[in-house]
Amino acid sequence: MKVTIPIGPQHPALKEPISLRMTVDGEVIKDADLRLGYNHRGLEKLAEEKTWIQNIYLTERICGICSHSHATCFVQGVEKLMEIEAPRRGQYIRYLVSELERVHSHLLWLGVAGHEAGFDSFFMYTWRDREIVMDLLEIVSGNRVHYAINTLGGVRRDVDEAQRAKILGSLDTLRKRTEYYLMIGANEPSFVGRLSRVGYLSKEDAVALCAVGPTARASGVARDVRKDDPYAVYGEVPFEVCTADSCDVLGRTVVRVKELLQSYNIIEFLMKNLPEGPIAVKAPRKAKPNEVVSRYEAPRGENIHYIKSNGTDKPERLKVRAPTLANYAATVKMLKNGFIADIPLIFAAIDPCICCAERTVEVVDARSGEERTLRFSELRRIARGRFEKVSQKRNAAWPF
Amino acid sequence: MLNRLVRWSRIKSPWILHLNSGACNACDIEIVAALTPRFDLERFGVLLKATPRHADVIICTGPVTRQIKDRILRIYEQVPDPKFVVAVGACAMSGCVYRGAYNILGGIDQVIPVDAYVPGCPSRPDAIMDGVVKLLGKL
Amino acid sequence: MTDSEIVEKAKTLLGGKALEVANPSLRRIFITVAPGDLAAAVTALRDHMGFLYLATISGVDDKDDYELLYHFGNEHVCLNVRTRIPKAAPRIASITPVIPGAILYERELQDMFGIIVENIPDPRPLVLPDDWPAENFPLRKDWKFERPEEKIPGGKP
Repeated sequence: MKVTIPIGPQHPALKEPISLRMTVDGEVIKDADLRLGYNHRGLEKLAEEKTWIQNIYLTERICGICSHSHATCFVQGVEKLMEIEAPRRGQYIRYLVSELERVHSHLLWLGVAGHEAGFDSFFMYTWRDREIVMDLLEIVSGNRVHYAINTLGGVRRDVDEAQRAKILGSLDTLRKRTEYYLMIGANEPSFVGRLSRVGYLSKEDAVALCAVGPTARASGVARDVRKDDPYAVYGEVPFEVCTADSCDVLGRTVVRVKELLQSYNIIEFLMKNLPEGPIAVKAPRKAKPNEVVSRYEAPRGENIHYIKSNGTDKPERLKVRAPTLANYAATVKMLKNGFIADIPLIFAAIDPCICCAERTVEVVDARSGEERTLRFSELRRIARGRFEKVSQKRNAAWPF
Repeated sequence: MLNRLVRWSRIKSPWILHLNSGACNACDIEIVAALTPRFDLERFGVLLKATPRHADVIICTGPVTRQIKDRILRIYEQVPDPKFVVAVGACAMSGCVYRGAYNILGGIDQVIPVDAYVPGCPSRPDAIMDGVVKLLGKL
Repeated sequence: MTDSEIVEKAKTLLGGKALEVANPSLRRIFITVAPGDLAAAVTALRDHMGFLYLATISGVDDKDDYELLYHFGNEHVCLNVRTRIPKAAPRIASITPVIPGAILYERELQDMFGIIVENIPDPRPLVLPDDWPAENFPLRKDWKFERPEEKIPGGKP
C-alpha cells in the first residue's frame, strides 16, 4: 500500500517553505524526495546588475542566520580580484564577527533540536543565552542580524576597549552555560535516547555524497575549510577540528557543542591579540578581468562562491553554492529506512538553511501510491508522542 | 453583549500562524525570538499555532516567489474569518533587494490583503511586538 | 603537498587530456580538458589523487560557448576542472557514475542554462517553479526579464 505524504510548504516546525514527498510503508519511509524552488529568488541574475558594493548588501541577504558567511566569502573573493588585502586589525574584527555568528547559529540549532525532540525548556534556555551573543553583535556592528560590517578592503566599524572587555567578560558566562548544557545532555537519558541511532549516515556515504559541515564531521569525515584551505587569520589561530564517530543526530549535536567551545577559544585569542592599525584600505571601483574561487566555513558547512569579473564595476558571474544544498543528497539517504516520526529531527539535524538552498519534501506511501496530505503539525505530534514512549536506551552514552 | 465578549476574547488571545514565503530567514528568526523569554510575546496571549485552521492572525515574511503564490492563497482561504494579516520585514512590504528578480512578485500585498506592516530588515522583535499590539488595538 | 607537486602529478596523470594546467594563486589549480575527456579525467583524479569531494559545478555564459567549471577539493588544494561546450550543441556527459553527489548541480545546470546533461539519472527541474514557461533559461546572457506592473493597494490606480 503506497501512501504519499506531502509535507509543506507551510508548516510550523521549520521556518521555511519546503515540500517533502515521502513514500512510506506503514511507519517506515521507503523513499524521500525533495522539491526545491519555493525559495528561489533569482539572486545570481540580480547580482550581475549591481556593483561590487551593492552586491555585498545582496549576498548578505541570501540567508539571515549565516548572513556574514555569504558576505565575507564574497568580499574575500573580490579582494583577491582587486588585488588588495585588508589590514590585520580589519581581518581580526571580521573573523571575530564570524566566530560570534557561528556561536549564535549553533545555539540556535541546539534550541531547535531540543524543540523537535520535545525538550522545550532546553529550547528556551539556549535561546536566552543566544541573546547574550546577539547583544555582543549589536555592540560591535549595530544590528542583531545582517551586521553589514564588511566592506571591500576591510571592515566598517572598529572595536574599542570597552567593547573588548565586554566580549571577554561575556565569554565566561557563555562557557559556564555551555558546560551546563553538556551536563544536562549527558545526564538526560531520554534526550540522548531520542537522538541516538536516528538519521544514520555512514562514513562512505558521507564521502560519496559530498556532505559538508557538522553533518559530515559527525560521520568521522574531518572536513573543515578552516584547516584545509586556511583563509586569512585561520593560519595563525590555534583550534581543532571537532569530529564524532556515531554518524547519527547525537553525533551532530556533540560536534556542534564541541565547536561552540572551540569558537570561544578562538574569540578569546582574537580579542587578546588584536593588533593595532587601520581597519580598511580603499578599494578601486573596477576589477580587472579575472576569476576567483572563494571558500568559507559557514556554521553549516562549506560555502563556495565563484566570481568572475570582466573589467567593469559589475560582476560577470557570481555563483553561490550554500552548504545545505550539498547536504541534501545525504539527507535523502538518511531519511530512507527511518520512521515518519523522525522526519523533523533528521531534517533539523542537517541544520537546514533553506533560503540558502531552496528545497521542499513530500511523503509518498510505498504500497498504495495514494497521496495523503499530512500536516506537519500531525507529524510533530507523532514525533513528540514517540519521544514520550521511547524506551530509555541505557547504553547510549554522551560521547564527549 | 455577546459581540463585546467575543471581541474581548479575540483581543486577549490572538493565535498566530507564521508563514514564510521565500524569505532569507532573518525576520523568521526574529519572530521566534520574540517568543523567547527576553521579549516574551506570550504575555499578550499570543500562541504560535501549527495549522491555519486554528489561527487568527497570519504573520508573513518574505518576498513572494512564483512557486509559493498558490500555496499562500490556499492557506489564506483555510484560515477562518475574521482574519488579519501582518507583513513583517521589508521583503514582505515591497520585495526589499529582490525587486526586479524573475521569480519574485513583490510584497505580500500582491497576493493577499494586509492589515499591518512592520518595517525593518530584519525587524527587531520589539518592532514585531509593537506591530502586533497596534493591530490588536485596532480591533 | 605543495601546489607545484600537485600540478606536476596532475600533468603526469592526465597526460594529453589536460590541455592546460594553471596555478594562479595559492591553493587554486585550474585544469582545462575537452568535453569528451571529462569523465575520464574526473575518474583519474578521484582514484589516484584523492579528489572525492565535488563542491559545485558552475556554468558561465561566455560569448559563443558555455564554460563549465567543476570545483573539487581535498585537504591541500581546490582543483577546478574547466571545459567548454559550444552554444550550438550544449551537451555534456553526466559525471554521476563517478561522483554520485553531482546530481543536484547538474540538474541546476539544466534549469538555468538549458544545457543537456546526458545520462542524468533524474532530469527533473530543480529550482524553477512549476508554471515556468519552457525554453526560458534565466542565466543566459540574452535572457532579459520584463517586470510586470505592480498594483499598490491603496495607492495610485
